[in-house]
Amino acid sequence: MKHSYSAEHARFLRKRRRKLALVWALRIGLLALFLGVWELVTALGWADPFLMSSPSRIAKTLASLYADGSLFYHIGVTLLETLIGFAISTVVGCAVALLLWWSETLKRVLEPYIVVLNALPKIALGPLIIIWFGTGAEAIVFMTVLVGVIVATMHMLTAFLSTDKNKLLLLRSMGASKLQILQKLVVPSSLASFISMLKVNVGMAWIGSIMGEYIVSRAGIGYLIVYGGQVFKLDLVMTATFLLCLLAAGMYFAVVLLEKILVKNEEN
Amino acid sequence: MKNVLCFTDVTLTYHTTRGETTAAEGLSFEVGEGEFLAVIGPSGCGKTTLLSLAAGLLAPSSGEVTRAGRCGYMLQKDELFPWRTIEKNIFLPLEIRREKEKNARSGAVELAKKYGLGDFLQSYPAELSGGMRQRAALIRTLAADPDILLLDEPFSALDYQTRLNVCEDVSKILRGEHKTALLITHDISEAISLADRVLVLTARPAKVAYSHTLDFGDVVSPLKRREMPQFSGWFELLWRELNA
Ligand SMILES: Nc1ncnc2c1ncn2[C@@H]1O[C@H](COP(=O)(O)OP(=O)(O)O)[C@@H](O)[C@H]1O
Ligand SMILES: [Mg+2]
Repeated sequence: MKHSYSAEHARFLRKRRRKLALVWALRIGLLALFLGVWELVTALGWADPFLMSSPSRIAKTLASLYADGSLFYHIGVTLLETLIGFAISTVVGCAVALLLWWSETLKRVLEPYIVVLNALPKIALGPLIIIWFGTGAEAIVFMTVLVGVIVATMHMLTAFLSTDKNKLLLLRSMGASKLQILQKLVVPSSLASFISMLKVNVGMAWIGSIMGEYIVSRAGIGYLIVYGGQVFKLDLVMTATFLLCLLAAGMYFAVVLLEKILVKNEEN
Repeated sequence: MKNVLCFTDVTLTYHTTRGETTAAEGLSFEVGEGEFLAVIGPSGCGKTTLLSLAAGLLAPSSGEVTRAGRCGYMLQKDELFPWRTIEKNIFLPLEIRREKEKNARSGAVELAKKYGLGDFLQSYPAELSGGMRQRAALIRTLAADPDILLLDEPFSALDYQTRLNVCEDVSKILRGEHKTALLITHDISEAISLADRVLVLTARPAKVAYSHTLDFGDVVSPLKRREMPQFSGWFELLWRELNA
């Protein structure tokens, strides 16, 4: 196809590509500038590296965590808790939303409870969670589910309820059953909302798992942050925070990738 | 002539928390087999309500609606499902009726090919022009082999040029397949150019004010009808009755 472009179109494409390259260069440059200034300020003693840490100290901490084998252990623990919590809250959220879509009465009955549960700061349930689930990974997964599930439910219910009225009418005129309407119309037309829900829920899952680890931690990234704070090892706190950024971004892009795969068929 | 659809003294009242609206009152008419009936009425008078009653989506508050056989409903917009190919869209009513037999499906595909959608069966709706999409919507409605077609202002979302073309298409297809049709519209010239008979409804609550059998003989092409001398006469008459 390439040969069929006009010279003007080729110029347009080149311009776009150049713009994209510029954006990426600036993004990376900004990060490099931030790290560079941070390193410089601490190296020159303008800021106390004991309080501020520094990129090189983070690198060193990473290396030592890697050397004693605990780096991937902590990452693994948190990642597993987050993924399990994310999966459960997504599945349960969708299932509850379907149920509420199905029964208008049930929806109206449960609405106020959902609103209250949504408004409740989940951290307030910390002590209860420890008593019910102990101080292991179960408690953290539960916290993750708690943080994510209401948002997932409300997000999907809104999507289901905003199904096009005319398309509903069309299916009903064909004599479709409620189950058929759900299968043929409500679920497929909620795909875009499902993906945006996943994006929101990834963030929720990290909030939940790190919050859980703050409360009951024995291992994981959240534990490293709490522990580092308690023993005043700011290098450890910064390192763990840095790892968290990487992991959260990674998971977000996994969802974006999933979106590319799922939505490909439809857009054309 | 056998009646496919019959309204006898039908009244419909909508109840909402804000009050009640009577959308149809003492509505009586019938549609004979093979007839193309157009219903015109002022906006908001209860035309869509009439179609919902005809399709059995609403039960009358009083009176009776009798229907011989199945209805096919066609709306203002094509309402094609964007995540389905044209072929899958056309199969939708068959899927709903759980019609597994190859016959019904190949019949639907034949129909699509006959009316110029053959090359687009594997395309998605977004790839088709507005006129093509409306044609696909009509084929989807016909795929279920309905005994009567209910058309709710099916051209009003199209631009003028496309509208004339789709109107021509629909006429050709419905006459070609010998279908019974009930067309709702607020466009007088559309009604005259398509129908065998025209009903004029009153303002809300809708009831039948006038009924006219048109005299275009064998001429069924909407464009040809528009050029015939009696067209403007009908237009004036209906316009006066509609604005009475
Ligand atoms: N579901 C409904 N609930 C309450 N009132 C309705 C409903 N649908 C239509 N109406 C009212 O009934 C009247 C007729 O509506 P409709 O049949 O859509 O008119 P038309 O199709 O002729 O424009 C309008 O006044 C409208 O507000
Ligand atoms: Mg209407």
